[in-house]
Amino acid sequence: MLTKTRRDLRRRLPQFAAVAMTVMVGVLLFVASYDAYRNLSDSYERTYSRLHFADLSATGGDPAKVAAAVEEAPGVADVTTRTQADLPMRIGGDKLVGRVVGLPGEGRPEVNRVEVTEGTGLTDGTGIAEGDSRDPADGSGVLIERHAADTFGLSPGDTMQVFDGSGWQPVTVRGVVTSAEYLWPARSRQEVLGDPHSFAVVFATGATARQLAGPDGGGQTLVRLADGAGDGTAAEVTAKLREAGAVDVVRRADQPSHSVLIEDLKGFEQLALGFPVLFLSAAAIAAYVLITRLVLAERKVIATFLAAGAPRGAVVRHYLGHGALAGGAGAVLGVALGTVATSAVTRVYTDQLHIPDTVVGHRPAVALTGLLFGLLVGLAGGLAPALAASRAAPAEAMRGDVGALPSPGRWSRALARARRLPVTVRMALRELTRSRRRTLATMTGTVLALVLVLASVGMITSMTALVDTQFGQVQRQDATVTADPHARDLEQRLRAVPEVAEVERVTEVPATVTAAGASYATSLSGFRTDTRMHGFRTEDGGSRTLPDDGVLAGQALTDRLDVAVGDSLTVHTHGGEKREVRLAGLVDEPLGTALYGSRGTVREMTGLDGNTYQLRLEGAADTEDREAVRSAVTGLEGVVAYTDEQALRGQLDAFLGLFWVFAGVMLVLGGALALTVIYVTMTVNVAERGAELATLRAAGVPLRRIAGMLAMENLTATLLAVPLGLALGALTAYESLRAFDTDMFTLDLSLGWPVLTAATLAVLAASLLSQIPAVRMVRRLDVARVVRERAG
Amino acid sequence: MADTEAAAKTAAAAGAQTHAPPRGGVRLRGVTKTYGSGETALRALDGVDLDIEPGELVVVLGPSGSGKTTLLNVIGGIEPADTGEISVAGTELTGRPPKDLVAFRRERVGFVFQFFNLVPTLTARENIEAMMELTGRGDRSGAPGLLGAVGLSDRMDHFPAQLSGGQQQRVSLARALATDPDLLLADEPTGALDVATGTSVLALLQETNRQGRGVLMVTHNASVAALAHLVVTMRDGRVETVRRNAAPADADTVSW
Repeated sequence: MLTKTRRDLRRRLPQFAAVAMTVMVGVLLFVASYDAYRNLSDSYERTYSRLHFADLSATGGDPAKVAAAVEEAPGVADVTTRTQADLPMRIGGDKLVGRVVGLPGEGRPEVNRVEVTEGTGLTDGTGIAEGDSRDPADGSGVLIERHAADTFGLSPGDTMQVFDGSGWQPVTVRGVVTSAEYLWPARSRQEVLGDPHSFAVVFATGATARQLAGPDGGGQTLVRLADGAGDGTAAEVTAKLREAGAVDVVRRADQPSHSVLIEDLKGFEQLALGFPVLFLSAAAIAAYVLITRLVLAERKVIATFLAAGAPRGAVVRHYLGHGALAGGAGAVLGVALGTVATSAVTRVYTDQLHIPDTVVGHRPAVALTGLLFGLLVGLAGGLAPALAASRAAPAEAMRGDVGALPSPGRWSRALARARRLPVTVRMALRELTRSRRRTLATMTGTVLALVLVLASVGMITSMTALVDTQFGQVQRQDATVTADPHARDLEQRLRAVPEVAEVERVTEVPATVTAAGASYATSLSGFRTDTRMHGFRTEDGGSRTLPDDGVLAGQALTDRLDVAVGDSLTVHTHGGEKREVRLAGLVDEPLGTALYGSRGTVREMTGLDGNTYQLRLEGAADTEDREAVRSAVTGLEGVVAYTDEQALRGQLDAFLGLFWVFAGVMLVLGGALALTVIYVTMTVNVAERGAELATLRAAGVPLRRIAGMLAMENLTATLLAVPLGLALGALTAYESLRAFDTDMFTLDLSLGWPVLTAATLAVLAASLLSQIPAVRMVRRLDVARVVRERAG
Repeated sequence: MADTEAAAKTAAAAGAQTHAPPRGGVRLRGVTKTYGSGETALRALDGVDLDIEPGELVVVLGPSGSGKTTLLNVIGGIEPADTGEISVAGTELTGRPPKDLVAFRRERVGFVFQFFNLVPTLTARENIEAMMELTGRGDRSGAPGLLGAVGLSDRMDHFPAQLSGGQQQRVSLARALATDPDLLLADEPTGALDVATGTSVLALLQETNRQGRGVLMVTHNASVAALAHLVVTMRDGRVETVRRNAAPADADTVSW
């Protein structure tokens, strides 16, 4: 029987190869993306472990007191206190608000260490290179975080300036470092995507950091928990930190850089599980159609064997073997290629993100699961036809009743009355019910392909819509200028800069909101009530104005702090008092979850008024004009930082351009998936209808007419599946996006007509392409032989 | 039985009204056809010479493997001959490319097969209309007339599954006539039918022939030879005998 199986596979090699290839793609995607997903997670963990990444980061209170409260607490491994402050910096021609972070413990803290990748360390001498004549005790200078070093082209020995409140202080870059806190360089959860030229992190000794930050420098308490400490321990330590005066405690899960990387991993996880499921389902359907055809063609032989006393189990095993062999072969190839791809994907990814550690592991369990998936697909596809074969009544099958014509159903009878339709159209419509399993298989292939395409493309179009909303409707300013509080007439001088159309003073301050025992670190902005710099979107897409009393907040705040509109929030700003303020309303913003109030309200809460200026440029300002404005504004006395808000948009657009390549690949894969299923069903279709097609050929019907007829039948089934495929695709895309919905991102599904049309055209093109082998089969039909055979 | 007799009478009546000049003559010279090569080569036609006059009903007899179906196929342009000359209804087939043979089949010949080969998802009328639509020959409005001629006026909107074997073969015949061929080629047209039904189908073929259309029928049933103007016997790929019937019998007198 094995010989027969082998020959069966060889006789239908293209179709079985299509099944095996689809299984291969599914298993490859599973193995490569799942192993890479785990590898990335392990890579992050290794870096976190080596650099003693904090489990809890507390701000506020007296750090020494806060630290003392938890040093001896059960489950706490290490505690460190440090200074951290956001200060204006000048790097080359750029002015920006950067961050100075203190490194206590002579540059080697117990928690949140940094790794020197270029140059030297600070005072401990551990990082001083051989031959460097610097005194190990010389703690001056800073270490610059790797992303900023790359952005600004800084190397050890370069200088930059930090504004310490009284003036610009020159500092020398001693080295370039990697930090677990800034594997993704995010200033805060509100600004995970930012113009790289508007943010830089430098590390300094504790003394230098305190000196630069001045008396307003923020104190932080960092805690590393012992291995194996669970959520309970974290909660207990958090409570102790708060009791000791900490205003905000951020768990590692909420730390901005880590959160972004986790969101990224979620994408990988979806890829690792979702896409393989689509391909493996398609392979199972193709295997089912193919083996069903095989069983129908061999029914008489099966009956003969059964009549001769062959056990039914043997028949089942024989046909299951076909599926298992095709699935198994595809799975073996998939695991082999997946294993190779795992290493490449992991390394490319960690290289791109500058993750210092790359863990490449190949998990036998993943490979085994991939193999099992492949086998299961083959077995699932073969099971129903194999069982049907074993249930054949020998006498009936041997009489050849397989050739009996099916009775017309209601659909066929109804179409017979549609006399105005051309017969070929009626024929195409009737074919839908002639072999329901074939039609269903074609439709399922179409649906799976559309789900694959829309889930992938939907992510990108939704990101594009997010960018459009954020920078078109919400953030309407083109630039933000941070000013020296003592600067005079700056507003007037800014207005005088060419291309600057509007200037508004805005108050911007970091804030921690607490309610019901939970806290959330965010930003508080105060605008004029008739501001033209910011749009406040409501959930239904409308807009609202700032309230005279109370604040507006991003919608995610209600979940984070379990509050509702009308509730009272406690807002703590650095240097300000704790204030109670009413949550007057919610806004729907794609990026971040911030607080907004009128300038008057914010002044009452913080004592600050108008510490930044927001600018709108003339409508047509292009990149060159913008650079000219940046240059002119940063040259003004009293300007300490300049952020080009629309530069981020440009960056995101460029970034999304790369994503479109990914979308293109998914379109091709979706087309290939549809092609596989439709190809198999089409060739089976032609094989089953050999006699009638040969009769048409014998009667002189041109091949193109037969091809047109088959195309019409095929496209009809495909088109019928399109609405369902589009709906399921959109639903899948929506569910995928929901996984990314956090306080950092609010992704609304946006699938425009061009995308839906392109996806539909892609599956229709795949459907038409799958005609080619079928038409070739018709051309090669041995008309003389086939017309003499009984149909069936 | 009553149904089939009625059909034959209807067809006869239809034929009686429309006698046309004879057509569908065939001329074969030295035709050979070999399948396979080397030791497994099978010479299906081995230098066949044959002349069929326009409007003749020809029955080709012979045992299995004698080459009679291959003869039908090369005359019908389904398969090209390896060597020799073939002329059918005034069209020279020798050396014609496949595309020309398709056009030839569409314009000159019609086929009737043993197992009918109807499209099961189309009604009787639609099977005929589909052929007209796909070949671009004939007028759809003529389908009821063709079905009427084969005695199926009351079965026009029935699907093949709702028709008996004989009725299906009559639809198949009407379909073959839909393109108004010069020559009708029938391969074992009664092979899948009982005697009574088979006789009625033969009557229809004979009536078709009486309208001036050439009919070439391949069969292993020697009793059918009585109907023919010309009886060709084949053996081992050669024409063994060619016998002319001075007075062909009526189909309803034939039995087996």
